[in-house]
Amino acid sequence: MLTKIAGGDIIDPVNGRLGKGDLWIRDDMLVGAPAGASADRTIDAAGCIVMAGAIDIHSHIGGGNVNTARLLLPEQHAAHQARPAATPLSNAGWSTFQTGCLYAKMGFTTVVEPAMSPGAALHTHLELADIPIIDKATLAILGNDDFLLSMIRDDASSQMIEDYVAWTVASTRALGVKVINAGAAAAFKENVRTFSLDDVVPSYGVSSRKIVKTLQAAVDSLGVPHPLHVHCNNLGSPGSADTAASTMAAAEGLPLHLAHLQFYGYGTEGKRKFSSAAARLAELVNTTPEVTIDIGQVMFGQTVTISSDVMRQFSARGSASPKKSVIHDGDGNGGGIVPYNYGKDFYGTMQWAIGLELFLLIDDPWRVFFTTDHPNGAPFTTYPALFELLMSREARTEMTAGLSKSAMALSTLAAIDREYTFEEIAIMTRAAPAKLLGLTDRGHLGAGAIADIAIYRRCGNIAKMLGQAAYVFKDGDLVVQDGEITHYRWGKALRLNPSPDKAMVRRLEDYHQQRYGLSLDWFNFPDSAIAREQPFGEVACRT
Amino acid sequence: MAVAWIGNRETLVERAAAHAAALLGSSRCPVFSLDTDIHGTRAAIALAERVGAAYDHADGAALSRETALFTDKGAMTVAPGETRRRADVVVIVGELPQIYHEFVGELAETVPDLSAKNQREFFLVGPNGASAPPLSNGRTGTLLSCGEASLGSTLAALRAQYRGRQTSQPVSNFDDFAKALAAARFPVFLFSGDATEGLALEMLQGLIADLNRTSRASGLHLPASENGWGSALASTWMTGFPLRTGFARGFPDFDPWRYDVARMIAAGEADLHLRISSSIVPPQKKRNRMALIALAKTQKPVAGAAVTIAIGEAGVDHEAVVYSSRTGSLRSVDARAASELPSAATIIRLVASHISAEVALPC
Ligand SMILES: [Zn+2]
Repeated sequence: MLTKIAGGDIIDPVNGRLGKGDLWIRDDMLVGAPAGASADRTIDAAGCIVMAGAIDIHSHIGGGNVNTARLLLPEQHAAHQARPAATPLSNAGWSTFQTGCLYAKMGFTTVVEPAMSPGAALHTHLELADIPIIDKATLAILGNDDFLLSMIRDDASSQMIEDYVAWTVASTRALGVKVINAGAAAAFKENVRTFSLDDVVPSYGVSSRKIVKTLQAAVDSLGVPHPLHVHCNNLGSPGSADTAASTMAAAEGLPLHLAHLQFYGYGTEGKRKFSSAAARLAELVNTTPEVTIDIGQVMFGQTVTISSDVMRQFSARGSASPKKSVIHDGDGNGGGIVPYNYGKDFYGTMQWAIGLELFLLIDDPWRVFFTTDHPNGAPFTTYPALFELLMSREARTEMTAGLSKSAMALSTLAAIDREYTFEEIAIMTRAAPAKLLGLTDRGHLGAGAIADIAIYRRCGNIAKMLGQAAYVFKDGDLVVQDGEITHYRWGKALRLNPSPDKAMVRRLEDYHQQRYGLSLDWFNFPDSAIAREQPFGEVACRT
Repeated sequence: MAVAWIGNRETLVERAAAHAAALLGSSRCPVFSLDTDIHGTRAAIALAERVGAAYDHADGAALSRETALFTDKGAMTVAPGETRRRADVVVIVGELPQIYHEFVGELAETVPDLSAKNQREFFLVGPNGASAPPLSNGRTGTLLSCGEASLGSTLAALRAQYRGRQTSQPVSNFDDFAKALAAARFPVFLFSGDATEGLALEMLQGLIADLNRTSRASGLHLPASENGWGSALASTWMTGFPLRTGFARGFPDFDPWRYDVARMIAAGEADLHLRISSSIVPPQKKRNRMALIALAKTQKPVAGAAVTIAIGEAGVDHEAVVYSSRTGSLRSVDARAASELPSAATIIRLVASHISAEVALPC
């Protein structure tokens, strides 16, 4: 089928297309204007912005910890709307089905779950497979697991480490690797309660820095397109800007991605010893080209924090609202679920302002990524409001009126004039994520790309415009019209598939037999276990 | 071999499925009870949404105590692998289901390789005369009890004594326990909702939280039913809620009292019961007049059922995904003795395909 999207304002920074024009889709792909052919279907995009489908690089949408959070908080997602015939279960609050629909309505077509515990890979992929419409991907968590820490302690060769990382990525069907408070979860099991970059995991004698550097090198050397995704130490603590600064310095010329930098944007000034260090961190990002970051913006209201940083979540239990939490010591990281309500008080305002300062003070939209660390800073459903804050100084000023004045006094936000343009939004939420993840088939509107397209009708209200797309195509299939989902389709989980080294597989088999009394069969699974047609899509490693 | 019956009359699967669909379509208050694998659960919940059914586990009471711990209070838990590798003190809380005796035996035969202590001590919390699963080499766990007091009261006394408070009846062998805890690096409490009342589970979590003020400790959740816990997980991601959820109002509604399927049947609220057993459960005798649709591994019609359809056993007749309490996560299992018998999911989808011209089930 040949579809023509006619007369829209095309914003495609990768191909240098900005301005009125047509797009052509043949079946599931974008194609050049076919000579003499007539379209089977024409979408009138006059008065609309046309961009590639958006890509979210860091959103906790599925897996053991997310599901535990759902279980912990039934009162927070009671459903009310009647049963939709075309999209079953999309009315179920916080269900996988609703997740896919809400993302698609905003024009997002690919979302990365950034914290997959390798031992729970099957569970994670089963949840992702029940998220309709969009494509998904996962990052596998390493860096608190005994196997890796033992190898580092025993000075294993970098080849062996790479073999282990490759096996983990391949067997868990991941698109990349994440390290979360490297070493801290292991140290916490030995009753250590705080942990920094140069602290050493007891029993292994290995520092957090060493773990990060080892994984960074392995990921780079294996040609994993996405740089090591780092959740730094000391998340949320006053003074954590120092930790983030040291971690950026540790990149040392090799690519490194720092997740949810907002949660480390904290200085120790003011009478509460809690202040904005955003300007300092933004300057460091601006001058460290090998570093990319995402924000983890805070928006006000009730949410729940879901993190595999079990040490941090344990120490945050006291702030749980409502007063219940889950702390799980897992085989590697484990995790913690702590519900939280961001109020417009001093602390909430400070966090909100710091996130925006980072967005606005980091110059290069190719290196700053649009996230709320869903649901940790805010649910992803706040994205439209966040776009508006980035694109309108006036919207920020209006919002600031109801916030803590003493917090705003410690932030530079009020003095920042910058407003994101649509082109910058297209880079930050489409072009740059595709590049960062190694997804050459999306993030742009050139011929040969998959037809993931979001079309927004221009109106004075940015949040409304970007919150409810006029049309969304996923793989050429028109799935959203006038902000409503028309039908389900099933996307893929994008994965790398490096071939595992046979000697490493034997070694891991022995290890699992000896240490867990189980063969590796207990953890492996065939694609058929997902029970969907083509559950995975393969992405190539760099050569 | 016959695989489908309407009443006692043998029929084609297709016809039995159509008849089941007609019964579901005309039911005023259908209820499902599940004892099935992950894909069977997914299909059953999708069907429940379509016909407005409530669903529960076949042994809903035990599972409900376990999910209530999470929905109401939260918990500190540990993975089974970490328990094996790190627990230097193992405390068995109440009676554990038979299926866990092997794992307890394994803990007794191994030492924690990630702990400096390289040995394990065992305790058992329960009334006088309670017995732990057999440990190897004739070892026994030290009994912590308050005479005939309930498990909840015993745990409360244990917690109070650990905090240095007076208790009306002291816990037996408390000094040994206190000494073991003082030397322990990572004590783990094994618990299940099987024979443990909800308050005891909360009290246990209180004790674990107290211990964590100064050192580490956690609880290993050994679900009363592995299928039940697997179904709870799948239900939670599909609807936001665990079992005892109903679709009577057109959206998922979680209410552990209202949608207690055993209660709904006993109270005469339900008028149609779909029972799905992907493991071998002896077919129960029907005790009421409500219509029954039985999906079970059976070679004859289930007594009194309006429709019986034979399904295979997950992991025996067909490959499956199941919850494994040995890994603490979902696991893929091959067919041990592959047969023609269809999976629960296959039959449920077949039934759904007869209900209306709507879109296919989403799972
Ligand atoms: Zn995150």
